[in-house]
Amino acid sequence: MLHDIGDPVAAGPEPAQAKLALIRSAGVAATCAVAALAAAVAMAGFARGAIVPVATIQGSVAALTLTAAITPLSAPFCALLAILAVAVALWCARRGAAQDPLLIAAFTAAMLLVLIARSVALFLFAWEAMSLISAFLVAAHHERRGVRRATFTYLVVAQSGALCVLVALTLLAVAAGGTSFDAIAAHAPLLSPAVRDTVFVFALLGFGSKAGLIPLHFWLPRAHPVAPPSASAMLSGAMLKVALFGLLVVTLELAAPGAPWWGIVLVGLGTLSAIGGVLYALVDHDLKRLLAYHSVENVGIIVIGIGVALAARSGGNSVLAGLALLAALFHTINHGLFKALLFLGAGAVNDAEGTVDLERLGGLWGQLVWTAPLFLIGCAAIVGLPPFNGFASEWLTFQSLIGGMVGNGLTMTVAFVAAIAGLALTGGLAAACFVKVFGMVFLGGSRRPSARAAVRERPDASTIGMGLLAALCILFGVVPALAVVPLAAVVGETLHVPARIPPALPALPLTVALLPLAGALFCVMLAGRRGVRSVPTWTCGSPVTPAAQYTATAFSKPLRTIFAFVLFPDRQRRYEVGSSPWFPSLISYRTRSRYIVDEAARGFAAAVLRFARGSRLVQSGSLRLYVAYAVAALIVTVALAR
Amino acid sequence: MILLAQVLAIAGLAPLVQGVMKRLRANLQGRPGPSPLQPYRDLAKLANKEVLLPNGVSPIPLIAPGIALGVAVTFAALLPIVVPNALGSIVDIIALVFLLGLGRFVLTLAALDSRSAFAGMAASREMTFGSLVEPALLLALLGGAVVGKGTHLWSVMDVPFGLAGTLAFAAFFLVLLAETARVPIDNQETHYELTMIHEGLVLEYSGWQLAMLQLAGFIRQLCFFVLASMLLPGGAEGWRHLPWVLAIICMVPAVETLFAKLRLFEVPQLFATALILAATSIGLRVFGVLV
Repeated sequence: MLHDIGDPVAAGPEPAQAKLALIRSAGVAATCAVAALAAAVAMAGFARGAIVPVATIQGSVAALTLTAAITPLSAPFCALLAILAVAVALWCARRGAAQDPLLIAAFTAAMLLVLIARSVALFLFAWEAMSLISAFLVAAHHERRGVRRATFTYLVVAQSGALCVLVALTLLAVAAGGTSFDAIAAHAPLLSPAVRDTVFVFALLGFGSKAGLIPLHFWLPRAHPVAPPSASAMLSGAMLKVALFGLLVVTLELAAPGAPWWGIVLVGLGTLSAIGGVLYALVDHDLKRLLAYHSVENVGIIVIGIGVALAARSGGNSVLAGLALLAALFHTINHGLFKALLFLGAGAVNDAEGTVDLERLGGLWGQLVWTAPLFLIGCAAIVGLPPFNGFASEWLTFQSLIGGMVGNGLTMTVAFVAAIAGLALTGGLAAACFVKVFGMVFLGGSRRPSARAAVRERPDASTIGMGLLAALCILFGVVPALAVVPLAAVVGETLHVPARIPPALPALPLTVALLPLAGALFCVMLAGRRGVRSVPTWTCGSPVTPAAQYTATAFSKPLRTIFAFVLFPDRQRRYEVGSSPWFPSLISYRTRSRYIVDEAARGFAAAVLRFARGSRLVQSGSLRLYVAYAVAALIVTVALAR
Repeated sequence: MILLAQVLAIAGLAPLVQGVMKRLRANLQGRPGPSPLQPYRDLAKLANKEVLLPNGVSPIPLIAPGIALGVAVTFAALLPIVVPNALGSIVDIIALVFLLGLGRFVLTLAALDSRSAFAGMAASREMTFGSLVEPALLLALLGGAVVGKGTHLWSVMDVPFGLAGTLAFAAFFLVLLAETARVPIDNQETHYELTMIHEGLVLEYSGWQLAMLQLAGFIRQLCFFVLASMLLPGGAEGWRHLPWVLAIICMVPAVETLFAKLRLFEVPQLFATALILAATSIGLRVFGVLV
């Protein structure tokens, strides 16, 4: 399942080049303009702390009225969108295909529209626009068969999800007798429990599949490796978050207050996604697909926060609900920042080496002198190392889980303790995975065939784009108050209770990391004074070759074996014996994991196809038969009417 | 001031603890063993030697020992020997788990950068066991948080001991054996690279860098012992628990003598046991049974 992307830009004649450059500049400018708009919306949302109406277009039918307004809850999502759009636009200015930035601009605009939609019609319109434009982004290299299949899978999941969202919102609109979100929210307390729970289930299916929650995640690891890096950054960094925004709007506003089991279901699904995502990432050696699985993991962590917030809110514990929602929103922002950084870094690796296969990369530290340190910051942030931003938000998530562990009944205690253990395991496994990623791609010796020479990277606009994201990862990590204080205001507006920031949080990251940083500095100073001698690596006297380095497959081998009950690894070893059986001329080793969820999805698709084929019996295509159907229907109707 | 004294005392005594344990283990196995002061001599000797690093490495192996030592010193400053501890009121149990993760992350990256297959193997195993041990480590320490004492490190002492406390200590003791590279999981005295985990990780280090790493290891080990003693009965004041440290110093060499090293793929079962013990302890505390 390796999708090689290769060099997308083909050299053309001079005028064509000029035209492409023009398209690229226009796209970059458009993306920046949309980003500015998103930033303005975010500012308005943060500043006003109340719903700001934007526009209402009366439809010919009342149900088609389009209403847009800025809510406090949409502000952090718009801010994230603005930051990511700027970073990705900078990236697109120098790399990728010329038409990418235009599509990215349209995609960003569609996402912005989803975030400010306040009526069913506008929300669904924007949602569809977002899905379709992103499908174009995924299909950028549609000349390859694998890309077309991935796009098809994505479209099927996106459309099925949109259908579920449509059902959920329609149920709400019918019950409320109006399609504006304000009317629905006003009617929310009067909903019958059956409608409320049905709406939740459909919203979970629709938004959960878009966000990549297990078991509806399977489109994600297919779509990401084939999309251009800029598109992956936007899909993973922003679009998954827009889906979570939809889930938040429905559960916190349109169908609120929810039943206690909503929160527990979300905590359970979040834990499952977190552990499942990181396990599949561990055994994957395609850098972009691995990052896609980590998106599944991080969406799981965010959903745990949302689940705790819902459970606490329905239990009447508003302080805990505020803390949990704060954790979820903060992790949403953080994941957007570091995941976009990592995807853009993976794109830079692909541009330099022509592959993102971990088994063929190595030793890029000395070559990608700018990307490597920025990528390391992304790795440290996603693993949650202090003092990077992932640490602060994961710490908050743990705090909210621990706060809700006791006094809320047996089910919640079991779910929360399991989530704490699961989250701790996820953290450890994610660290293992990113040690693998960074160690294999950037450290050690190069695994490149010796014919190709290394080219030292020079900084350009794309480096600035990545640098912006990395700087924010550090800034929100070292000074979490910068992000947490506005987010706490948003949480307060959304839940109608002031959110309390844990008093330890502002000073925490730097306190944890101060002495380790001092130790690192001490080492550098001591090395400067006393000198360090470079010697060959000790390999028991045999020559130092890149082939003897530990590989990604070998690195993840123990965990693959330990988690064999989930991953079902299977291996094939092949020996080619030459003149002597003791010295084989070639040994090849392949290992593959089985993806149970994907297999189940494929089984489901096959069953649907079988059913469709079976139903062809009544669709012979013969006109006479159809006339007979019509006559029969008429007779039955008349018979029933009598 | 108290914190500084605490850190200096722990850092000063940590090599002695290592020496005493080595001597005890040797005596239990019928060997005379080295002097308990040998770790000090080793550190002094290494500190004056020059550092050799593999060709063409990134700056990560250079700074990794400093980060590891910084992590260990922070850990030492956190311990609630005198309550309330100024640093411990900010850095809690969860942050401690992340802090330990920072040291592990940097050391394994440095090992992978060295291009040695042995170091890569050790890095893989260290991350494997490090990630599997994390849930048990966290749950074993959450006893105080369950009864509403918050997540400060001193919350672990302020709970009734009973069966739940015994289970939590048992779970933490298993975690401690893994984190201090002790026998059922790892062997500090092996000379065979294929069986090394922690030793393999630092195989390429020499001179003052190795001295820093060894000192960091000694401090971390003593910190784990002190933290384990906090889980044993002794009231809400940390220093009252310190006599238990002596008992743990005797227990660990005894375990190392009585048990053989587990096969690599049997170690996860040990961690699963620790997780079940810790989760049971939490369950007992939540529902207030048998505490």
